[in-house]
Amino acid sequence: MTVMNENPTSQARFQQSGDTRRSARISAETVSTLAVAILCVALLVGARFISPSLGSWSQVETVLVLGSFLVVLSFGQGLVILTGGLDLSLPAVATLGGILATNWVGASDPGAWYLLPLVLLVCGCVGFLSAAGIVWLKVPPFIMTLAMSIIVSSLLLGYTKGTPRGAAPDAAVALMKGHLLGLPAPVLFLVAFVLLGWLFQSRSIYGRYLYAIGTNVEAARIAGAPVTAMRILPYVISAVSAGFAGLMLVGYSSGATLRMGDSYLLPSIAAVVIGGSSILGGRGTFLGTVGGAILLTTLGTIISAIGLEFGLRTIIEGAIVLTALLLLREELFQKLGSLWR
Amino acid sequence: MISTLLKTATAALLLGAACLGAIQPAEAGAPKDGKKYKIYLSLSYSGNAWQSEAANIVKALAATPPYNDLVELKEVISGADPQAQISAYESMIDSGADGIVSFPISATALNRTIKRGCEQGVLFFMYDATVTENCAYNVSYLSSGFGENSAQALVNALNGKGKIFLSRGVPGNSVDQRHTDGAKHIFAKYPGIEVVSEYYSFWDDRTTQQETAKALAAHPDVQGIWAQAGEYGAIQALLDKGGNLVPLTGENSNGFRLALADPAMQAKGLTGVSAGSPPAQSGYAFKLMMEILTGKRELKPTNIEYPLPWVPADKVKVCSGDTFENGCNVFPKDRVPSSFVTEVLNPVLLPEVNIDSALNGTPVKGATIQPLPAEIVKAANEPGINCARCEAAKDQYKLTKVQSTVK
Amino acid sequence: MSDIATTSAAALPAARSGPAPRHRLWRLTQGAGLILGLYVLLYALYAYQQPRALDAYAIAALMNNTAPLALAAAGQTLVVLSRGFDLSIAGVISLCNVVLAVYPLEGPGGALVSMLLCLAIGGAVGAVNGWLVAYLRLQSIAATLATMIICQGIALVILNAPGGYVSEWIADELTGRLWGAVPVSGLAVAAVVGLWLLVRRTDYGVALYAIGADEPAAALSGVNVRRTRFLTFVMAGMLYGLAGLMLSAQTATGNPNSGAPLLLLSFAAVALGGTSLSGGRGGLFASVMGAATLTLLQKVLFSSGVSSFYTGLFQGVVLIVAVVFSGLLTRIGERK
Repeated sequence: MTVMNENPTSQARFQQSGDTRRSARISAETVSTLAVAILCVALLVGARFISPSLGSWSQVETVLVLGSFLVVLSFGQGLVILTGGLDLSLPAVATLGGILATNWVGASDPGAWYLLPLVLLVCGCVGFLSAAGIVWLKVPPFIMTLAMSIIVSSLLLGYTKGTPRGAAPDAAVALMKGHLLGLPAPVLFLVAFVLLGWLFQSRSIYGRYLYAIGTNVEAARIAGAPVTAMRILPYVISAVSAGFAGLMLVGYSSGATLRMGDSYLLPSIAAVVIGGSSILGGRGTFLGTVGGAILLTTLGTIISAIGLEFGLRTIIEGAIVLTALLLLREELFQKLGSLWR
Repeated sequence: MISTLLKTATAALLLGAACLGAIQPAEAGAPKDGKKYKIYLSLSYSGNAWQSEAANIVKALAATPPYNDLVELKEVISGADPQAQISAYESMIDSGADGIVSFPISATALNRTIKRGCEQGVLFFMYDATVTENCAYNVSYLSSGFGENSAQALVNALNGKGKIFLSRGVPGNSVDQRHTDGAKHIFAKYPGIEVVSEYYSFWDDRTTQQETAKALAAHPDVQGIWAQAGEYGAIQALLDKGGNLVPLTGENSNGFRLALADPAMQAKGLTGVSAGSPPAQSGYAFKLMMEILTGKRELKPTNIEYPLPWVPADKVKVCSGDTFENGCNVFPKDRVPSSFVTEVLNPVLLPEVNIDSALNGTPVKGATIQPLPAEIVKAANEPGINCARCEAAKDQYKLTKVQSTVK
Repeated sequence: MSDIATTSAAALPAARSGPAPRHRLWRLTQGAGLILGLYVLLYALYAYQQPRALDAYAIAALMNNTAPLALAAAGQTLVVLSRGFDLSIAGVISLCNVVLAVYPLEGPGGALVSMLLCLAIGGAVGAVNGWLVAYLRLQSIAATLATMIICQGIALVILNAPGGYVSEWIADELTGRLWGAVPVSGLAVAAVVGLWLLVRRTDYGVALYAIGADEPAAALSGVNVRRTRFLTFVMAGMLYGLAGLMLSAQTATGNPNSGAPLLLLSFAAVALGGTSLSGGRGGLFASVMGAATLTLLQKVLFSSGVSSFYTGLFQGVVLIVAVVFSGLLTRIGERK
């Protein structure tokens, strides 16, 4: 909205103010992102002790393919959290994307080139509705997106009468099952997605606006950020990326179910927070989030290989998450940093 | 029969009212002559093929003559929360239900409410999942030995030796526990069988595929998979790896059965048995309940066994029509989705319905309700599943469908 | 507690970040009045549709159904007031439930011990949460996610499939009625609300609102932020323990996943009660009423015969409308 008639002076002023705040923070964020990556590698290598087949390239491939859903979902979640919100409607919107893709498009529909974007558009509209409730009706994000999630699930249940039909679109199957240059397509896609997501969040003016809004809305307004538009944008992006994750899930398992998104809600939040973002907004990087998502997925594959009963495995999983959180505390880095100097 | 039931119900109501020290509104106990039977279909959750097929079958039967003039059916979906189903049952009892056909979310949490309903003359028919309250009727295949029979079939296919995965259902669920106990009882007899990974797949294709993929990362040399519902996802995970298929036992999805019969899949090493939970149980439960309500059958509350579907790879036969005819048991790929559960039909117990009924809840044109066979099969005791504080039979895990062929 | 006591006077101004309450009407909209009104309205609708709704039995049944969520939401309110999220709610309730089902203790004495056991479990988990959040400065949502996962695991180790029997005394007495009219579960919730009204006036209560509204300001005015936050998690945990007790009484059996459905509902109840999810504003009684409204809504939707596929649609819309409406009234009130 106000992005268009932005006057150059206010934008320049804004960039300046954004930059000074960022430069002080950059080192800490880089360190925590690196730490997540190191932890991932340590887990993968350590897994060799559990089973000799673990820690292999094949396991890395499995982790990357299974983790790609979570990365895409937590990109949107991360943007929403960056502005101090929370998106509980991700699972429902992912399911929406998957169901519409199988219902409207099907396996080899020649209309896929416009129908698939249309599916994402519908998802985006759901995100816009959430944002509208949050920005204009002043409903807390938690409630608005929770209610939206209940509403979308219920509409999907009614629309499909409980039985989702149709097959996965060829494009989605190619994305998840194809190979290119000897690498699985989803892995290549993941690399491209992470690059684009990083450019958007850390290198574009929009990303800087979002950081500013998350830190202090009023200050951002004074600095000339288009606050209303920038508060709506994350929810729309989040819904579109959730819809896209739905397409990916459909491509991966060749069909949609009404509960296909359910298991991703808490992991999407956990990935963002483990990656070093503040749940209160204004702090965190997408690369950290990617690390968090991959860390959680790695943990999942390793845990399932341990030959213990499920309850004990769950306890170990919780304990590792907790340890990771304690290791990744910013205070710890600061202390280490001061020792270094 | 109806009048006695109504009298009992009225008496119970009046007694209840007297106990509460308040007089019930007159309409609650009014005679039902000319009125329809008020039947509720209570689901815990919906959203997978199994649940909606089971519900659709009941809807289709209730719309088939003469039940279309006798029954007022209402569907209630209360979610995966036992408390919500308790609340739904309470509401149904209060609005004067004659019968409740239900998939219970918990074997024990609903007992108190069910008991109150029974005291007010409501008939409770549980399908597939069961409750331990003995005033309810349980119609279920749970006691028919899915776990042990499928496990033995897998052991036979592997000739008693090999690394296997167990793809289980929902953690902390008594049905999953019963199946797994049965299977492990068999596996324990064969020292050559090594369970290298055991994971929960939540009875869902997609989750099964992801969990199997994780397990394959650690154990690419797996030789067999014992799966509960969601088995088609296990096949997909194996195919994703690009390697060979292995012997696999699972439940009744159309995709799995077609794969079992597919020569290309067989060439890759797929063999196995399709067995497990049939959605047709709901229809059987509903028809039994209606026969009791209309006075055609006298039956005290008990546990009724639904026979275990059992289709080994060489018995898979594709149907050309919309029903199971001439011993066919799976539908072509373009007719139903791969997650469609084929055992929703039963030519003996449910001749009234076809796959359109299962998909849409619509009655078949020209069909009328046929009487059920007079005999029922009583289910064995399964402690904590269909009876409380009871003993399991000594031969709880006896094999009924297959015998050991391992030397 | 002593150093909080000496600073309570200083902390007071921080607790009231909005304009001071002058109007009685304003206080009504600010507190639980609105949600109470909504509840009465819904109940009237329910009673109109279902004449039996006013029976002593039906009221008690509804109360039994409400109590676990109400107590869980009460605990969640405390944490939310201190500007946190507590996901361990699901783990604590499941854990209490399986402990009560696996180790049933008969008789009133056994019930008392069981209750203390639940309080101890909740308090212990709360203490771990409080330590992680207040002293190690982890983010509450992340720390409690980890403790939730661990508690769920322990619950599954204790009981790997639903089963067991909660002692008959608990199952019968806690869901019964005193003198044939007063539901025990309702009394339990009322007792907690009563206790809260007392606690709220103590230095701790004042400090809680203060750190939720503006933590740096509260710290500057001498509130011991860490200790307040720690105590908040402990008390919240104990309330979840009580919720687990009431849930066990109602279902009379153990289920290692029993707490999971209450997780998101507890937040919905808190928000419906008008407590701000960004801390510092709201109250425990309002959340209890929020929980009661959510439970009642199921009944109303049932008796109005909404197609079962679409009940979620109505729940969602009611949730949004209620929150928008209460926000609107609050703003009108603030303008006065």
